Amino acid sequence: MALAALLETTLSPLLTFGWVGPRILVIGVVAAVMGLRDLQALLLGFFGGVLTDTLGGGQFGIAALGGVLAAAISIRIGTTRRKGETGVFLARAVAVAIVAYDLLSLIAPVLAGQEGPPVVNYLLSGVVPDVLLNAVLAYFVGGRLLRLIATKEERWI
Amino acid sequence: MGSKKPSAVSGLAALIILCVASLALFTIYVREGDSGPLHTIQLGASEVLRPVRGLLNLATWPFSAASERIEGVVDTSEKKKELEEKALEYEEGAAEAARLRQENERLRSLLQGEQPSFEYGPLARVIQPVGGQLTDRVVINVGTNDGVGPEQPVVVGNNALVGRTTSRVTPNTAEVLLITDQSFAAGVRIVPPEGSEDESGETTSAGGGPSEEESHGEGLLRTSWEGYLGVDYVDLDAGAVQGDFVVTSGRAGNRELIFPPGLLVGTVESAISQDIEQYMKIVVAPTVQADDLQEVRVIVGW
Repeated sequence: MALAALLETTLSPLLTFGWVGPRILVIGVVAAVMGLRDLQALLLGFFGGVLTDTLGGGQFGIAALGGVLAAAISIRIGTTRRKGETGVFLARAVAVAIVAYDLLSLIAPVLAGQEGPPVVNYLLSGVVPDVLLNAVLAYFVGGRLLRLIATKEERWI
Repeated sequence: MGSKKPSAVSGLAALIILCVASLALFTIYVREGDSGPLHTIQLGASEVLRPVRGLLNLATWPFSAASERIEGVVDTSEKKKELEEKALEYEEGAAEAARLRQENERLRSLLQGEQPSFEYGPLARVIQPVGGQLTDRVVINVGTNDGVGPEQPVVVGNNALVGRTTSRVTPNTAEVLLITDQSFAAGVRIVPPEGSEDESGETTSAGGGPSEEESHGEGLLRTSWEGYLGVDYVDLDAGAVQGDFVVTSGRAGNRELIFPPGLLVGTVESAISQDIEQYMKIVVAPTVQADDLQEVRVIVGW
């Protein structure tokens, strides 16, 4: 989680083009909370987000809320997951979590008294490609990462 | 079954509590001001992460260099960069002339002794962009140790404006809000280029140095959410035309602003007057593309 927060604040800005970029925190939270109890998962999402807020330069609290929502979505979608569908599960959960995260980013400036982007424009050229990019990333990278972690854990056992 | 229901209820309660906690943090952050504890924590973390950011920037340099090369191959004009540099040099010269002329006129009219020239901080390297989907900021490797402070203009070359420092200035770094960020705003003046004719048919003075009468209007420079840089609140009869220079005015009404007068922002790409609108719609082509920034300077005094 700490690594995801670190990458989100250091690497992600270098790979962000306009409104679209890898949301490493969201992918990290969705993957990390798999198999955890509800409370553990939500706390992990929250503190991962707080760490991202601390290390990054954005408005404090937004990544925390995004982390909590990503954990909640991962828990909810995880209940319908079938065995061996890790990649598909991750892609679905990340896609929904990214929608929530992007909408949060849209609302945050308005709540802070600043001007926000035009909604339709943002949804079409921001949220949609962002969801696609991150779902694909979660499917290929997240799925492999989880399999790697699972294999290592089995070896330890 | 019996244990699952309480677990779901406690999960929901935790979700609500954590959401409220996040919103509380957000509210505190927005209300506390730049010197509040959350801002201070972020500033400290930014300083700690500086070496990591520097390393990552260095590590991704080959990719950005390769990307630039590919762009160069795709580009039909091989000498595009060279021409851009020449154009920048020319535009900077013209704007510098405008500034000097304005300065000279002010000196003559006000008889106030001397107008201090710009005092620059050391040449600064752009470390990396700052995270945030809806912001356009970068971090540079100079800070309070180099005399850089908050709310100071940041330029490329001598006077091509690219942004301003925010309140996040550490001893060795400073965050720069770029002109392409939607929250950036600056008072600007539109000035005719050298030797052009105004609407009355009279040729304007050389160097584009405008007096109040020669100016093609004043307004507020902002980047719209549609993505273009524009000047708002320019009167319909201002006379701005394509090719005019856009320079900082240094004031709004009687109030002094954070930018000195005469910093070049760009040229007018299009200027449209429609009777049904209250103001002109002016689109500006920036002198410097914010994406290509590598080295900048902070104007620490003027």
